[in-house]
Amino acid sequence: MNPETRRNSPTVLILQIVSLVLFLLLWEWAAKTRAVDPLFIGQPSKIFAYLYQSVFVDQVLLKEAVWTLSETAAAFVLGSVAGIAFGLLFVLYEPIERFLDPPFSALNSLPRIALAPLFLLWFGLGPISKIALGFSLTFFIVLNNTVAGARSVDSDWIILARMLGAGKAKIFFKVTLISAVPTIFSGLRLGLIYALLGVIGGEIIASQYGLGQLLSLLANTFETNGVFAVLFFLAALGVTLSKLMSAIEAYLLRWR
Amino acid sequence: MQLEERTASIDIENVNHLFPGGVRAVSDATLRIHAGEFLSIVGPSGCGKTTLLNLIAGLIELRDGRISVAGGSPRAGRHEVAYMLARDCLYPWRTALENVMMAGEFRGVPKATRMKRAKELLGHVGLAEFEDHYPKALSHGMRQRVALARTFSLDSPVMLMDEPFGALDAQTKLQLEDVLLDLWNAEKRTVLFITHDLNEAVTMSDRVVVMSPRPGRIIADISIPLPRPRSVRALQKDPHYHEIYSNVWSRLEEGLNQEGRHAP
Ligand SMILES: Nc1ncnc2c1ncn2[C@@H]1O[C@H](COP(=O)(O)OP(=O)(O)OP(=O)(O)O)[C@@H](O)[C@H]1O
Ligand SMILES: [Mg+2]
Repeated sequence: MNPETRRNSPTVLILQIVSLVLFLLLWEWAAKTRAVDPLFIGQPSKIFAYLYQSVFVDQVLLKEAVWTLSETAAAFVLGSVAGIAFGLLFVLYEPIERFLDPPFSALNSLPRIALAPLFLLWFGLGPISKIALGFSLTFFIVLNNTVAGARSVDSDWIILARMLGAGKAKIFFKVTLISAVPTIFSGLRLGLIYALLGVIGGEIIASQYGLGQLLSLLANTFETNGVFAVLFFLAALGVTLSKLMSAIEAYLLRWR
Repeated sequence: MQLEERTASIDIENVNHLFPGGVRAVSDATLRIHAGEFLSIVGPSGCGKTTLLNLIAGLIELRDGRISVAGGSPRAGRHEVAYMLARDCLYPWRTALENVMMAGEFRGVPKATRMKRAKELLGHVGLAEFEDHYPKALSHGMRQRVALARTFSLDSPVMLMDEPFGALDAQTKLQLEDVLLDLWNAEKRTVLFITHDLNEAVTMSDRVVVMSPRPGRIIADISIPLPRPRSVRALQKDPHYHEIYSNVWSRLEEGLNQEGRHAP
């Protein structure tokens, strides 16, 4: 049996649902009887009540999510475009890569969240500082994957293209670049999650809007149920984004 | 296609090749392959067959000796020369049809012409129903058929083939040898075919050239007087073929023995 069918088999799905329900019941019981202080763990029924309220009634969560998502989208698109562009430039003109390698390596090994204070100083409390942080994460991931993908092109493919009479430009666009798409795509998938990470991180540190800002506000006011509700929402958001990327990937890379 | 001696022959004179590091891969090779001739080179592994082919293809720079191919000097990407390897080298992101069309695409052939030609050739190699399959969904033998079709999709008068069936099982190999002979019969080209399978060389070729172990020297040049058109599978049972085969085999041994006496 391949992993796909195993994951989707009904027995496993039923077991997963049953254990999730059991876990929530246990959690609810622990919070209700105060076996564990609900200040730390919240209470499932109240978490879902908060989720319902903030998604369907006052829609606070959705309004904040719009901020977070648009910042993430901006960081992701800018970071990916720049990452791919620099990656291709590096592959085409190696001297540029050698020239830029020291500062890029240094920036890439820096824990990017440490740049947050600087970005706040430069770009203020608004969305731009969050986009910059997301960008700084996505850019290097996509850059590295683009370079790795384009460098690992099968040399026989290149030889054959040369023998078939393809010039440098045709070889680059029709062979090297396309053969790198799968690797670039796994960079994009990771880059998207990291763009979200950067944006949320930035919002938690200092912001007026966004899910990160909401999260830190709720935590500071000991609204544990709200914190869990936002976390659940974020997890669902992350999974949705990943699935979306997978679907696009499966379509574009159907030849694999 | 009309083949002319001047524009479809390969002329190799006193070619030597020394790899950096001092490996002498080809030693004083002189050989003429006539227009429309199917010539095989056989020889033990590592004797310099691929090196010689790549010198002719222009993939390795010629430093010592003279090579003229299809009326010009060796250069990668010349339209007069087609090239095929043991690995199918299909582009996995293209369907069988798109792979066959690729050759013309690189050379600026109009799309309609390429498409027509590619469909025709895929039909010839027995893959008409698999046009829209990606390489991952084709067997080894089928992939090599696509590669054959791609090689023939160009009007190049000269074809260089480096063990194109070397990676196939015996059964598939016989099938593909017949496919190649059919294509070649329909449109005669000059073929330089590299193999280390003597049986394959004898059944397919007009002439078989034997190279010695490294440094590769040409030690025998044998004509194969089997009538055309040939069927590789039918030949396996033909007594005349077996007679010629053992004749070639003894000439080969002779060459190798003499080689042994020459060796220090
Ligand atoms: N790029 C290279 N650099 C240095 N030496 C090489 C290179 N390519 C081949 N050689 C050497 O040249 C010799 C001939 O190699 P070649 O690939 O031409 O052999 P071959 O006859 O095609 O062998 P096979 O039947 O295994 O394909 C080998 O001994 C190999 O070690
Ligand atoms: Mg070889």
